[in-house]
Amino acid sequence: MYQHKDFLKMKKLYSLLITSTIIIGLVACNKETATTQTEVMNSMLTNKNWYLDYSITGATTSTGVVTKSYVGQSTYFVTYLKDGTTRDSDGLTGTYTVELMDRQSQIHVQVKTSNGNSLEVVYNIISIGDAKLVLAKVTSSVAATQLYFTNK
Amino acid sequence: MSNKIIWVIGYLMIALAGSSQQLSIKQQDSAFLSHPFKDNVQQLKKSISHSFKNFVGNDLSLFGTLSLNKQNINDNGVTAPVNYLYNTVNNNTFKPGYSGGFRIDGIYKEKHHYSLSLAVNSVHAGSNYNNKYTIAPFIEDFTHFKANNNYITISIAAHYKKLLPVNDMRKYKFYVVAGPSFDYKISKISNENLINGSGNRSFINGDLGGEFDNKGYYILYAHYKLGTNLFQSTVPVQLNRFEIGMSIKAKDLF
Repeated sequence: MYQHKDFLKMKKLYSLLITSTIIIGLVACNKETATTQTEVMNSMLTNKNWYLDYSITGATTSTGVVTKSYVGQSTYFVTYLKDGTTRDSDGLTGTYTVELMDRQSQIHVQVKTSNGNSLEVVYNIISIGDAKLVLAKVTSSVAATQLYFTNK
Repeated sequence: MSNKIIWVIGYLMIALAGSSQQLSIKQQDSAFLSHPFKDNVQQLKKSISHSFKNFVGNDLSLFGTLSLNKQNINDNGVTAPVNYLYNTVNNNTFKPGYSGGFRIDGIYKEKHHYSLSLAVNSVHAGSNYNNKYTIAPFIEDFTHFKANNNYITISIAAHYKKLLPVNDMRKYKFYVVAGPSFDYKISKISNENLINGSGNRSFINGDLGGEFDNKGYYILYAHYKLGTNLFQSTVPVQLNRFEIGMSIKAKDLF
């Protein structure tokens, strides 16, 4: 009688153990949150030197030709660090945040100019990856400047 | 110190044994009372066992499988401005994986052969991306999504087995098998794979294959599985798998 009861108890415990293991396995899942997209972009952006390959200002001409600036120079670069600070090769430093504003991903940069004034620059993220980054500088003027960066 | 522990453990064991041999007053009282829940459970158990009386045989086997896997990915639904260079993520080949588990083989109404299985699968898959994107003049040939191509699933399968009239069927049995299976990813999904509602853990598969039973000692089998996301996703993934494996009856192993 004692052995039979023990067997039943053990059987129940094993069933409980297996069931709870399966339930924990199914429940312990990760889901998308409001910050998932900005987290992914931050992970792609940070701790790299982004070299400016070229920039394009204004729209495409009637003949389909675009005017590129800084082509092949690759001397200017900007770095975004994980601690939320940024610096560029000209010596400008500041802070930055990656934000999602009305479905538009943006980089908000607060920098101190050489004469000590604060300046906010906003870039729309056109595309971001591990190796290639395209930004559009948000300005009040009609012609936006598009910037193409790569990291080496 | 160790003597004390042995004495304490010994005392506890004697106390537990003594207490379990006789019913307490509460248990004796309970025996005379009605237990609607307990009675319902007993009735349910009887009903289940009655329903399953036509399922006979039910040999428990352990199996191991090697697989070749490839996934086709449609990332049209991703709107986030992320890029992955097509040539670095696209790999239109089958890659090897493996799985292990147990299965129950039986006969329904002494006529229809079937197998039920539970497995843990390590899937290493080649990734074929259906779409390429371009942002002129900056980036050519990229995707908006990088699929996870190395993950673990648990799966269940129910297969109908049709015995083929080939060779001496008392010794060697050949079956054609078909049926559904279900996979659930249990490994962590990265944020990159959750973006814009692209995350999806569940796959429903259609399985088709052949099996060879060697005198009941072991079964060799080859299955093809075609899977798709069970729930709607912005990045539908189609999973193709070829599996070869072997199962051996548990009673022959232990």
